[in-house]
Amino acid sequence: MTTQRSPMDDFEAKLQSLWGRAQAGDEAAYREALSCLAERLRSFLRRRMQSLPDELEDLVQETLLAIHLQRGTYDPTVPVSRWALAIARYKLIDLWRRRGRREALHEPFDDLAERDQPAVREEPMAQRDLTTLLAELPKAQQHAIALIKLEGLSIAEASQRTGISASALKVQVHRGIKRLAELVRRTG
Amino acid sequence: MKTNELIDFLATGAGPAPRWVEARRLLPMMALGVVASAAGALAIFGPIPAEIFATPAPWIKFAYAGGLAAAAAWLAARLGRPVPRTRAPLRALLLVLMAMGLLALGALLVTPAGERPAFVLGHSWSRCPVNVLALSLPALAGALWALRGLAPTRPRAAGLAAGLLAGALGALGYSLACTELSPAFVAVWYSLGIALAGILGAALGPWALRW
Repeated sequence: MTTQRSPMDDFEAKLQSLWGRAQAGDEAAYREALSCLAERLRSFLRRRMQSLPDELEDLVQETLLAIHLQRGTYDPTVPVSRWALAIARYKLIDLWRRRGRREALHEPFDDLAERDQPAVREEPMAQRDLTTLLAELPKAQQHAIALIKLEGLSIAEASQRTGISASALKVQVHRGIKRLAELVRRTG
Repeated sequence: MKTNELIDFLATGAGPAPRWVEARRLLPMMALGVVASAAGALAIFGPIPAEIFATPAPWIKFAYAGGLAAAAAWLAARLGRPVPRTRAPLRALLLVLMAMGLLALGALLVTPAGERPAFVLGHSWSRCPVNVLALSLPALAGALWALRGLAPTRPRAAGLAAGLLAGALGALGYSLACTELSPAFVAVWYSLGIALAGILGAALGPWALRW
């Protein structure tokens, strides 16, 4: 007799293997892992944010930023989705706190299972604009992010072109994303 | 902004995940904290006479405060992760406390009954916990700052761990200025000072550890 594998188990297994490669530096695996996680986060948050539907995608994105910035705190003995959902739950509580706890008192009215929720057809989109937010960063961070994140240069190429050391560039990119996450949190 | 754009943005040139983030954030702050508490103890209370180092007293204090600091740092590092596994560091913390408790109890039992109150109270029981707490404040600020850069999802517990860590570092510095000789004194009054720092950390946690 074989034990039945649910679609959820398959999802976890796939995510776990993607995440392992992503942590080791595989960019394509990281991109795919984040996409899987985004979907998981969206369904997790959707049923808990029925009173704030317009802000669902904002919080998904805030959580993705936190996941990226904190991926060093991932503990390999914990399932990736559990780790990610703990971050999402923290960000949700943080949002409630900023909203003065009003929403925390609202139990979801119709607590549908995640798969029964209406599917969103158009591409998920938050209310903020990345370009606008990037313009608020200090120049050095903007510059490093433009080269590495937007033009897609490798750290070595960017370092060669600008004469800035590789480690300094890495620090600027990390600080920039951290600043970006703060801006996202503040405007949320 | 579309979520797919953000994902692309994050993944491009992301490189491998940073390693040892907990240690890299906590260790420098612990070093600063212990330097601040030692400097504060020497400047405010003055160093203990060199002869005392021939007795076991300062070494017991160093071992107790150092052991507690290590266990509390381990606990704080674990609480800096979104799904914290705290059992092992809690056990270590308990082990250090029990070792100190047993040592104090043993020393108390071999002390004649009439001298026991003095053995526990020493000459500075009322000042010791406050001094330990005061000396732990720089380390507390540092430990909270370090944890804030991680991802603590239980801010009160993480604040408590940061407070215990800071208290232990404060006690480590105070050991350089404290002339009490009895292990029972250390077990009671040092522990009280460290616990006060822990309570302060737990109170500050929800406010200081937002990320």
